[in-house]
Amino acid sequence: MIHPVDTILSLALLSILFSFGSSRLPGLIKVMAFQGVVVSIVPLFVGHEMSTGSVIFTIVTLTIRGIIIPGCIYLAIKRVAIGREVEPIVGYHASILAGLLLIVGATFASHHIDVPYSSVSALLLPTAIALLGAGMFLLMARRNAIAMVLGYIMMENGIYLVGTSFSMRARHIVEFGILLDVLAGVMIMAVILQNIKQTFDDVDTARLRTLKE
Amino acid sequence: MLEIVFLIPFFTGAAAFFLPDKIGRCLLVLTGAIHLILSVIVWAGRLVPLFPDYFAVTPEGLLSLLVISLLFFLISIYTIAYLKASDIHAEHIFTGSMLLFLSTMTMVTLSDHIMVMWIAIEATTLASAPLIYTHRTAASLEATWKYVLICSVGIAMALLGSVLVTVAMDVGKVDAPISFSAMTEVAKQMDPMWLKAGFVFILVGYGTKMGLAPMHTWLPDAHSEAPSPASALLSGVLLNCAYLGIFKTNKIMHAAGLADFSGPILIVFGLISIMAAATFILKQTEYKRMLAYSSIENMGIIAFGTGIGGLGAYGAMICLIHHSLIKSSLFLTSGNILLGFGSRLIDQTGNLVNRMPKTFVAFFGGFAGISGFPPFGIFIGELLIIMGAFRTGNYVSAGLFILSLCVIFAGFANNIMKISFNTSDAAIRIKEAPSLVWPQYVLLLTSLVLCFWMPDTLYQTIIHAVNTIGGGF
Repeated sequence: MIHPVDTILSLALLSILFSFGSSRLPGLIKVMAFQGVVVSIVPLFVGHEMSTGSVIFTIVTLTIRGIIIPGCIYLAIKRVAIGREVEPIVGYHASILAGLLLIVGATFASHHIDVPYSSVSALLLPTAIALLGAGMFLLMARRNAIAMVLGYIMMENGIYLVGTSFSMRARHIVEFGILLDVLAGVMIMAVILQNIKQTFDDVDTARLRTLKE
Repeated sequence: MLEIVFLIPFFTGAAAFFLPDKIGRCLLVLTGAIHLILSVIVWAGRLVPLFPDYFAVTPEGLLSLLVISLLFFLISIYTIAYLKASDIHAEHIFTGSMLLFLSTMTMVTLSDHIMVMWIAIEATTLASAPLIYTHRTAASLEATWKYVLICSVGIAMALLGSVLVTVAMDVGKVDAPISFSAMTEVAKQMDPMWLKAGFVFILVGYGTKMGLAPMHTWLPDAHSEAPSPASALLSGVLLNCAYLGIFKTNKIMHAAGLADFSGPILIVFGLISIMAAATFILKQTEYKRMLAYSSIENMGIIAFGTGIGGLGAYGAMICLIHHSLIKSSLFLTSGNILLGFGSRLIDQTGNLVNRMPKTFVAFFGGFAGISGFPPFGIFIGELLIIMGAFRTGNYVSAGLFILSLCVIFAGFANNIMKISFNTSDAAIRIKEAPSLVWPQYVLLLTSLVLCFWMPDTLYQTIIHAVNTIGGGF
């Protein structure tokens, strides 16, 4: 029988492929919002006893990861009228192929790793690894600064999956602190993005080349 | 209530965002003074944590806390004179961020919980980002962007590493709180493979923030674009905070008997950093970037010493303290030069010895200290590290270490001579007000005094800290 968490995780994997294939920023942000929602509900299905605290925490996580963080970025591009392409260094088709290879590689790698909770879901570790790798791919393969921020968020999503699912020690207050840091980080990045757009009239990072040796 | 040490600057910092500039300046110095007093009280062991699960007083934390506190107080005095002499937009954001920055760095030194440590270190990135963008130029914007993105991504790696360390506990079926002190006690039972993986990720993550090459690319930009008081804080104490994260994880590695694994990695990263600094310092045209590369060098030295262990670990601790004192004084002095000559290029300055004699004394003293002249502490630290390296049989790395130090000294000395003695007809734009020079004198003097006379309590604390990573005589 397919465990519900596997269905959810396969949606997260699908969102990686979608994000690699999307050429326009608003589309990419929507994919990331979807991914944020999917990732935040995973802990509800993985081994925890359902307590009021964990339900409230899930709702808070979902709001921040799925609504506020993408909302911040979306507002940033709205306010300074950035609606352009993500300026790929690696083309979209090649990116999707790379995404597929990444998922296969992550599944392969996770078979060789002995994790205490692999009984919970077979897809958990592959998804986490794939999200991490995909985030790094976006950081490297897109010149647009916003796509890079989204890559960072995807990496964070991957780490969140590793964290909440494998290790059940961190208390909610600590996890909330981590979430708050990520949120503040993204907000600051959004402010910098707006300033970059105003100063350079573009968010193409190829223009950020004055400081180098 | 230990937490008050970082809560006070947090609240004054938040308040400074909404207060007029004048009150903000007073608040800066006042908070610095209160913080210094509180740090001394913490040192005396009079404050107990309210949340012992998350915060604790550790010897290495105490050392960093005292350094932060002293530096911030002196820098805040300098900042007032600096703000008067320079023209800074949105001063309330600058002072507010400085105080929040102090608060987050203090939190790093006091945190014992592995995740709280991460939260605090990431918070230092966020609090210091507005400081780098103070001048509102295109270059400073670029530096801020690189700083926030590279450090956030790097520190995300450290978060993954921290999670892996907790997985190591789960696999080893250990039930203990995930604080550094508790984990060090049960380290032997933790799963070595996961622990090793966690250490590597934490080293790469916090290493990015500490400025270890090849993850150092943000550092010269950020340190040169930030206003000098902020550069002094970034270089003098922020790098130590990141080091603290690596130090504490290394402590777990040592307790788990995995020192053979963590030591060589630290040595390699340290050597790469020192050599990268040597490469870039030779061709440097800007004096603030030169100082930034010197910070990378010193962080490399510290990582190298920590990896060597024994005498080297003690030497690394000595270097850590003296680097903070001397480098922050150098950055403050570079602020004077920038105010005086109005340019960051070495070629546009010159004849400092006659033009700004008081600044020259601080600058040259700082140079002598940082490049390892006796009797300054860096000399003693480096000597101990080299001796430690020979004792443990690391002849090749010790050779590379000495060679790189010589190259760096040559490059550094060449530029310093140009700034100090070249002819220049530029008009000096500021007067050397007393508070623009004496904070640097105090910092250098402290470093000098510590070489000849170290209070026994300080010595014991250092020994206590390095004992846990196999250091000492």
